[in-house]
Amino acid sequence: MGTWLDETLTWGNALIFFLWGVILLAIVLGFVTYAIYFERKVIGWMQLRIGPNRVGPLGLLQTVADILKLLIKEDTIPRKADRMLFILAPALAYVPAFAVLAVIPYTQDLYFADINVGLLYYVALSGISTIAIVIGGWSSNNKYALLGGMRSAAQMISYEVPLVISVVGVVMMTGSLNLRIIGEQQGNWFWEWNFLPQIIGFVVFIIAAVSELNRTPFDLPEAESELVAGYHVEYSGFRFAFFMLTEYVYVYAIAALTTVLFLGGWHAPAPFLDFVPGIIWFLLKFSCIVFFLFWLRATMPRIRVDQLMGFGWKVLLPLAILNVFITALYLELFIKG
Amino acid sequence: MIRTEELLLNVGPQHPSTHGVFRIIVKLDGEVITEAIPVMGYLHRGTEKLAEDLNFTQIIPYTDRMDYVSAMTNNYVLCHAVETMMGLEIPERAEFMRLIVMELQRVASHLVWWGTYLLDIGAMSPFLYAFRDREMIIDFFNELCGARLTYNYMRVGGVKWDAPEGWLDKVRDFVPYMEKKLDEYNNLVSGNEIFLARIKGIGQYDAQTAIDYGLSGANLRCTGVDWDLRRAEPYSLYNRFEFDVPLGKTGDCYDRYLIRLEETRQSLRILKQALEQIPSSGEVMGKVPRVIRPPAGEVYVRIESPRGEIGCHIISKGKAEPYRLKFRRPSFVNLQILPKLLVGETMTNLITILGGIDIVVGEVDA
Amino acid sequence: MKGLLKGLGVTFKSMTAKKVTTSYPDVPFVMPDRFRGIQHFEPDKCIVCNQCARVCPTECITLTGKANPDPEKKGKVIDTYDINFEICILCDLCTEVCPTEAIVMTNNFELASYSRDELFKDREWLDNNNRNVRQDNNNIGAPAAAKGGAK
Repeated sequence: MGTWLDETLTWGNALIFFLWGVILLAIVLGFVTYAIYFERKVIGWMQLRIGPNRVGPLGLLQTVADILKLLIKEDTIPRKADRMLFILAPALAYVPAFAVLAVIPYTQDLYFADINVGLLYYVALSGISTIAIVIGGWSSNNKYALLGGMRSAAQMISYEVPLVISVVGVVMMTGSLNLRIIGEQQGNWFWEWNFLPQIIGFVVFIIAAVSELNRTPFDLPEAESELVAGYHVEYSGFRFAFFMLTEYVYVYAIAALTTVLFLGGWHAPAPFLDFVPGIIWFLLKFSCIVFFLFWLRATMPRIRVDQLMGFGWKVLLPLAILNVFITALYLELFIKG
Repeated sequence: MIRTEELLLNVGPQHPSTHGVFRIIVKLDGEVITEAIPVMGYLHRGTEKLAEDLNFTQIIPYTDRMDYVSAMTNNYVLCHAVETMMGLEIPERAEFMRLIVMELQRVASHLVWWGTYLLDIGAMSPFLYAFRDREMIIDFFNELCGARLTYNYMRVGGVKWDAPEGWLDKVRDFVPYMEKKLDEYNNLVSGNEIFLARIKGIGQYDAQTAIDYGLSGANLRCTGVDWDLRRAEPYSLYNRFEFDVPLGKTGDCYDRYLIRLEETRQSLRILKQALEQIPSSGEVMGKVPRVIRPPAGEVYVRIESPRGEIGCHIISKGKAEPYRLKFRRPSFVNLQILPKLLVGETMTNLITILGGIDIVVGEVDA
Repeated sequence: MKGLLKGLGVTFKSMTAKKVTTSYPDVPFVMPDRFRGIQHFEPDKCIVCNQCARVCPTECITLTGKANPDPEKKGKVIDTYDINFEICILCDLCTEVCPTEAIVMTNNFELASYSRDELFKDREWLDNNNRNVRQDNNNIGAPAAAKGGAK
C-alpha cells in the first residue's frame, strides 16, 4: 500500500485506490452488520435472553433482514420538515464517519493513507457529524428531535475537547501525529504500550470516546425513555439506516483508534508471541473494545445532561490537561535531559 | 433581534416512559420545566359506575383491572369491605391464603416497579432480571387461580381455590431464592454511581407536604412518616407477624427506591412466617349467603397496597348491587403532587420523578 | 467507581446464566390445570338455567332454550349458545355457577384472529373446543370431594 501512495497519481493508481476504498466500504458494512448482530446477542446473553436466533442459522441473517426491511420501507418526509436539510443530514453524517477510516493503520504495511497529521484529521472530520445531527434534529421540525439535536451538539463539543487533549500526551511521547508511527513506536511488551504510561489519558480518552459515540451511559441525544428517539425520531427507512450506520462506523473508528493509540496496535503483548500475524492481534484488541462498549450498554443507566456537561468540563478536561503537564514534566526531566 | 420562547411539549399519551397512556403537557424553557399539566383519563373505563349495576361477585373481576400490577390487593379491598359490612367470618386458612398471595403480589409489584424505573433511567438489563423473578410469582398465581394477571381469586367470604398440591412448598423455596436475588439487584444497581447521581435529591418534599397532598405508601414513608396500614390499622392477619416498616429521611427518589427494595425484603419476611403458620388444611370458603346482600349503610375500609393506601367506600341500600362504590386509588392521589415537583426540573428529571411516584395508569384512570 | 464495577460484574456473570427464553410458538406453552382459557360447552349437559348468562359481568353470553323434543321429558334443552370473545374477560364466573358443568374452562388460550367476527363463538364451535378441558372446576354445587386438594 505504502509504495502506491508514494508514486505519482496516474489513472491506474487512482483505480487501485478506488478499489481499495470499495473493499474497505464492504469490510465496514460487514463489520456493522455483525457488530449489530453481536451487540444484540451479547446484550441478550447478559439479560438472560438468547438474542436473535430466527433468521438464518443462529440468527446470523437477522441484521441483513433488518436492513432489507429498512430499504423497502416507505421513505417518509414530514410535510413541515425542511426538505433539503432533512435529506442532507443522513448523508452528511455518514461521509465523515467513513472518511476518518482512511488514516487508521491496521498493521505495519496495511494502511490507506499515511498522513502526518492523521490524528488531527480524524478529530477534525469527526466533528462534522455533529453538524449533521443538529441539522437532522432541526430540520425534522419536531420538538423531541430538536432537543435531541441540541443535546448532541452540546455533548459532542464538550467531549471533543477532553478527547483531543487526552491524546496530546501520546502525541508528545511519540513526537508524531501520524497514527502509523504512533502504533509503530509502542514497545514489544504490553507494559510498554501507551495505556500504562498514559493511564490518565487512557481513561479520559475511553470515557470521552464513549460519549462521542453517543452510547450508553452517554446516549442522551437518543435517550429513548425521555426523548423517544432523539434527533432521528422523524427518520424512517433508509435515512434512518444511515444514522445507524454512522453510529456503528464510529464504533469501528473509535475501537480502531483506541487500539492504535493506546493498546499497541498490531504488536503482540509479548515478543515470543510474534509468530501470530499483527493483524490478528489488532483484531483481537479491536474486538475487546467493541465488546466493552456492548457490555457497558447492558449495565449502565443513563447520565443526566447537566451532570454530563459538568463531568466533561469539570472533571475530564482538567484531568486531560493535568495529564499533558505530567507528561511534559516527565519528558523534560527524564527523557530529554 | 433574538427572541426566546417557551417550548410546549406534549409528553404522552404515547410516550415510552409515561407507564401507559398518561400525558403531561410541559412548558420548557430550554430543558427546564416551567409548568407541567398532567392530563389523565385515557384509560378511564368507569369501573365505579359499572359496579352500580353489578352484584359484588361480579365486581371482583373489574377490580383486577384497576391496578393490574397488583390485582390481589384490589380483590382484597373489595371483599374486605363487603365482609366488614356483613360481619362475615373468614376461615383461617382462607385468610392465610389471602395474605400469602397479597405479599407475593407486593413482591411482584415492586419488581415491576424496580425494573421499569431503571428502564426509565436508561439501564436495560434490570428490567429483564426483575421480570424473570416476577414471572415465577406470576406462574404461582397461574397455578393457583388460573390467570396470570387478572386473578379474580378472592371471593366474599374466602378465596376461590385452595392451594394445589405442592404449591406452598414451591413458595417456600421461592422466598430464599428471592432474597438472594435481591442482593444481586443491589450489586447491579444500588451502588451504581451514575444511578445514585440521577436519583439522589430529586423530587424532594417534606413530611408536611406529603400529608397535605394525601400521599401514601412509599411516597409518604420516604419523608419519615411511619404510616403503614399493615402496622397502623392491622387488617387480615398482619398483627401476627413481625416485620419492619422501612422509613426514609430526605424524601427524595433515592429514599423511595430504597424503601421499595426494603419493603420487598420485608414482604419476604412476612411470607416466611405466614408459610410456617398456615394451617395445613381447612375450609377456604366461609359460610356466605347465596346472594350477597350487605345491609343498608356505608363502610370505608383501607388496606396497604404496594402503591399506598387503597380504600373502598361502599354505600349499600340493602340490595345485591352497591348503591355507590368508590375506590380511593393510591396512584391517583399520589400523582397529584407531580405538577408541584416538576416545576424547575429538567426534562430528564421528569421521567425520574414520574417513575419514582410509581403510578399504574389503570388505577389512575380506573 | 466500585458500584459501576460491581454492576459490570453482575452482567458479565449473567452471560453464562440459565436463559429464560421459551421457544413458545415452536413448543406449545403448557398451562397448569386451573388455567382459565376459552370455554368448552357441552350442550347435552345444559339445563338452560341461565345462571351463566346472568352472572357474566360483561354480558357476553347469550343463550336460548327450546322445549325438550322428547315429549316424555320435562324441561328445556339448549338451542343456541354464543359467547362473544370480544368482551369476554375469562373471569371464570360462568363455570363457577354452572350446576351441571355444561360450561367448563379449557387450557387453550390462542384466540387471535384476523377478523373480529371470528371472535363470536357459537354453540358448535364451543362444543368442538374439547381439547385440554380443565379437570378441576370447583363449581358451586359440585360435590365437595371435587374441590381443590389440601396443602
